[in-house]
Amino acid sequence: MGDKIMTERKIMMIQYVTGILSVFLVSVHLLYQGVIVPYEKAISFSQVLSLYRHIFYGSMLEILLVVILVHGFNGLRIILLELNQSQDWSKAVDIITVIATVVTIAYGTRTVILAVFGGVS
Amino acid sequence: MEKGRERNRRGIRGWFDPTVPNNLERWAYFFQRLTGLGILAYVIGHIGDTSFFVGGPFGTGPNQSSWSFDLSITENVVGHLILIFVVLIVTFHGINGIRLILAELGIMVGKPSKIEYPYRPSSLRSVQRHIIWVAIVLAVLAAIWAGSILFG
Amino acid sequence: MSYVKLVVQRYDPERDEKPRFQEYIVPYRKGMTVLDAILYARDYLDHSIGVRFSCRMASCGSCGMKINGKPALACYTQVSELGTERIVVQPMDNFPVIKDLATDFEEFFEKHKELMPYLVREDRAEQENPKSEYLMKPEELERILQFTYCIKCGLCYSVCPTVGTDKLFPGPQAIAQAYRYVEDVRDEGGETRLNILDNPHGIWRCHFAGSCSAVCPKGVDPALGIQLLRRYVMRGKAPRKKGEGSKPFTK
Ligand code: SF4
Repeated sequence: MGDKIMTERKIMMIQYVTGILSVFLVSVHLLYQGVIVPYEKAISFSQVLSLYRHIFYGSMLEILLVVILVHGFNGLRIILLELNQSQDWSKAVDIITVIATVVTIAYGTRTVILAVFGGVS
Repeated sequence: MEKGRERNRRGIRGWFDPTVPNNLERWAYFFQRLTGLGILAYVIGHIGDTSFFVGGPFGTGPNQSSWSFDLSITENVVGHLILIFVVLIVTFHGINGIRLILAELGIMVGKPSKIEYPYRPSSLRSVQRHIIWVAIVLAVLAAIWAGSILFG
Repeated sequence: MSYVKLVVQRYDPERDEKPRFQEYIVPYRKGMTVLDAILYARDYLDHSIGVRFSCRMASCGSCGMKINGKPALACYTQVSELGTERIVVQPMDNFPVIKDLATDFEEFFEKHKELMPYLVREDRAEQENPKSEYLMKPEELERILQFTYCIKCGLCYSVCPTVGTDKLFPGPQAIAQAYRYVEDVRDEGGETRLNILDNPHGIWRCHFAGSCSAVCPKGVDPALGIQLLRRYVMRGKAPRKKGEGSKPFTK
């Protein structure tokens, strides 16, 4: 495995860390948007805007976006790797899951950036 | 020979196997996979849906009418039922996931010992199994709580 | 109960398109095991039934099969404990069928061998011609003892969901035995084994479904061994390096 940039050990370490972070951040997100702020208000335009523009909550959403997608797509990769063991399949699974992760993170990050810096209309 | 070889490998059907006795962990394994896939699908959908806050794929910034349009699609009985289901599977996946991380690092799985008949594997008797029940109970409670908020 | 209806899954991969079931009426006697019933059918009713067995006392690990859908050793399962007159026997899953109930263990043993199920010492010359025993404390023995009871019956392998789809995954038996040697204070091959296991189809593909431990007839608890070994793989460090194994006994 020496020729690989990432050994499976490191990938799994990331899987565990992103898993724990996701549990923590999703709990905060759900509790804040469901309990601390009443749900009706939580989804209102002004509330969502103020959340995105709150330095801590906005950053938290971005971190949550990254950790949950890394965890989720790596989980998908693990399931797919177990289904077929040919070299081509493994390579394709690795490449496709990395691309999917990057693209979804990029799209979600675009939302965060536009919500924070874009002009309100 | 190869025919028989392939025939007997269980394949994906083996993910779910209620025939193994005394094996709650196998159920947890199956539902961890399923809920994981479900959550990933939801998260992707949620990223798409929240992008309407900034006017959708071609938007340029926070946009009130686009957000109202999005809420008109998601805020209904079906949308709320999906949310409740998501709360259920997220809670299960999260708590069971913590159990798995700890167990996979050798924590809460017991330790090797002198064994005597009838054998009772320490890994299946240890604290980790209780956490599966905790995950199930908390997932149901969280779903009820979400239901009371969304429909209450 | 005066007789049992033994339903045997028949399948010869060389000749048959697909498996079929054949029923045999076997007279019941007290203390009869499922293996006894199969052997009666084979000896008196149909010589062509394919079955592997040897010790008849849960020591050789030859007669693993599915009995009424549950994986178990046929010699270790009393007919009376099944509580039914109809007993369906099928070959273990995840193993190629040689014929009927006899399965092919080649892949299973290959994977076992690959993880070096023997003591590895840096000083090979000394290991080949030892002048005395290597030292080991009772508590050190206790850490590995239960894993040494493995009889290589393959039942754990047959229920593992990962083995069911991933041909390269070593399986619970092989990894638990790797732990048994990595943890053995006399062994110095830990690092090599950890390296073999740290790959996309290695130890990480165990998701602790625990079925291996649930079906093991010898109380080995492979799932425990795997999780304890994973800790070493995660740290990237075996408990001992080369040359750090316990020393030969001296007066
Ligand atoms: S670990 Fe148990 S079930 Fe697996 S081969 Fe060894 S004795 Fe059989």
